[in-house]
Amino acid sequence: MTETNIIQLKGLDKQFGKFTAVSNLTLDLRQGEFFSLLGPSGCGKTTALRMIAGFQEPTAGKIIIDGQDMAGIAANKRPTNMVFQSYAIFPHLNVGNNVAYGLRNRGISKSDIEKRVSEALEMVELGGLQSREATELSGGQRQRVALARALVMRPKVLLLDEPLSALDKKLREQMQFEMRQLQQELGITFVMVTHDQYEAMTMSDRIGVMFDGKLMQVDAPPTLYAKPCNKDVASFIGEMNFLPAQVTAESGDSLTISTPGFGGMTIEKNPNIVQSGRDIEIGIRPEQLEISVSRPEGYDGTVQGKVRNVAFYGENVHYHVQVDGIERPIAASVPNYFHTVDYRPGEPVWLGVQAASVIDLGQDQSK
Amino acid sequence: MTRPSGLAIYAFVYLAFLYLPVLFLPLFSFNDGTIVAFPIKGWTFEWYRQLAGQDTLIRALMNSLLVGLVTALFATSMGLFAARAYERYTFRGKEASEGLVMLPLVIPGIIVASSMLVLFISIGIKPSLTAVILGHTFLALPFSVSIMKSAFDDFDASLEEAAFDLGSGAVETFRRVTLPIVAPGIVASLLVTFTVSFDEFVLAFFLSGNQPTLPVYIWSQIRFPAKLPNTLALGSLLLLASVVLLVVAEYFRRRSSKSKI
Repeated sequence: MTETNIIQLKGLDKQFGKFTAVSNLTLDLRQGEFFSLLGPSGCGKTTALRMIAGFQEPTAGKIIIDGQDMAGIAANKRPTNMVFQSYAIFPHLNVGNNVAYGLRNRGISKSDIEKRVSEALEMVELGGLQSREATELSGGQRQRVALARALVMRPKVLLLDEPLSALDKKLREQMQFEMRQLQQELGITFVMVTHDQYEAMTMSDRIGVMFDGKLMQVDAPPTLYAKPCNKDVASFIGEMNFLPAQVTAESGDSLTISTPGFGGMTIEKNPNIVQSGRDIEIGIRPEQLEISVSRPEGYDGTVQGKVRNVAFYGENVHYHVQVDGIERPIAASVPNYFHTVDYRPGEPVWLGVQAASVIDLGQDQSK
Repeated sequence: MTRPSGLAIYAFVYLAFLYLPVLFLPLFSFNDGTIVAFPIKGWTFEWYRQLAGQDTLIRALMNSLLVGLVTALFATSMGLFAARAYERYTFRGKEASEGLVMLPLVIPGIIVASSMLVLFISIGIKPSLTAVILGHTFLALPFSVSIMKSAFDDFDASLEEAAFDLGSGAVETFRRVTLPIVAPGIVASLLVTFTVSFDEFVLAFFLSGNQPTLPVYIWSQIRFPAKLPNTLALGSLLLLASVVLLVVAEYFRRRSSKSKI
């Protein structure tokens, strides 16, 4: 056991009949980090969280929390607490009694319970609302009560199952910020399950990306964004243009490639790639592309094309540019400095990219 | 308002045909005469007053109350657990067992009654209130199960998980979370199953032996024409009690499906 790993998952498997929900999940979570399990619905992330909480028994593998093997230890005896997707606020209890619920299982004196409940409510900015009925709470308040009810137990690990999915966008962004703040103040390990990549990126120290029951990659958000381990991860995190490329030379950490349109370039080898080859795929983020009327100066790769359509997002504008020899239009995103759309559909434009922003995605699976 | 359509008239006539005879019961119970026929001779509370002094009637009423209460408790507690299992879990034979639980609703009462009588006698339970209670529990169970199922229907399973997660064991979770949340359903089920038992005649007739319940007592009184107005008065009271109980039960049943957040 290491001091810093609060949770160790060792080869976790979960089968439901013939269906494999989680397969060979091995993961170490560090003390005090905000970790997100990110993936599309049905990828097994919630099952993984529920196994940590003790609601589901793994078919195989080990869960070790704070050095203790959790085999045979039920959810009510584990040092974890959970914030449920539906919040699961007890409808027959008021806010104070909801938050005090767990403390009353522990034989704590009445005055201590009252003190801790009011501290927990202060913490989630619901100070003094003890006597408010559960049925009178707004969505955001219910989320806060659920947080307070779990945190008042002083868990070693707080588990959050899609905690923000029931809130509207504005409130969600505010709660993202507040929850992150709270986590850093308390220093408790948070493990959150989400299908929302932005939520995962803005809140987490590290993200684990899951597909089809398998953990694909675990990294800090910037690394995940810059060096995804395969095309699935690359397309799930942010937007990405995918292009085919041929490796013409390979030396040390770099690859010399030739790609339709942009031509030849020497790019950095992606250390996270498992399978490489002669035919590879590369990825370019829309915001890494320069778009201009004339051929842009000082770029490693340039190509000419025609604007197919324009998507105005407010904070930026996406141009979809059709390039000869490339099947799908290339998306280029430009920050909206002057509230204008500079190029119209049909206009000829140039795209430019630096080799440093071209991401090696390994062997082209379609070939 | 639009002109009533043919369908509306049909519905009205149909309902009148169904319920008018029932309304004659209270009407004639106030009639100052022993013959049940128009014209009404005058108004009186005499028949109601006389009810109070009849010992056998009071005993039958007590029998019915006892049978009803115990039946309601038995059927509701069984229904509570059965409904939770049906709503929460999938298990082998679930549909078959649900079907079996609902079966008493469609088996003719006389069949149930005669076969129970044979069964009870063969296993040594004499016709008695105990036998009636067992029989009524069987009859009331489908009502209880379906009411409790609707109470569990929109009960978010993560509420129980949350309680468990916060350190409660299975019994604590049931007592502090499940029970209070389905409480309105429990009240509704108690009232309905009580009513089912309280009004039941055929089973009680076969199984009550020398401890008649109220419906059995009423039946025995109908043979004496002089006592008919008393019986009408008693029947009216029972009708009123049943309606009140069912209305209250419906109120609780609706509350149970509304209180979830």
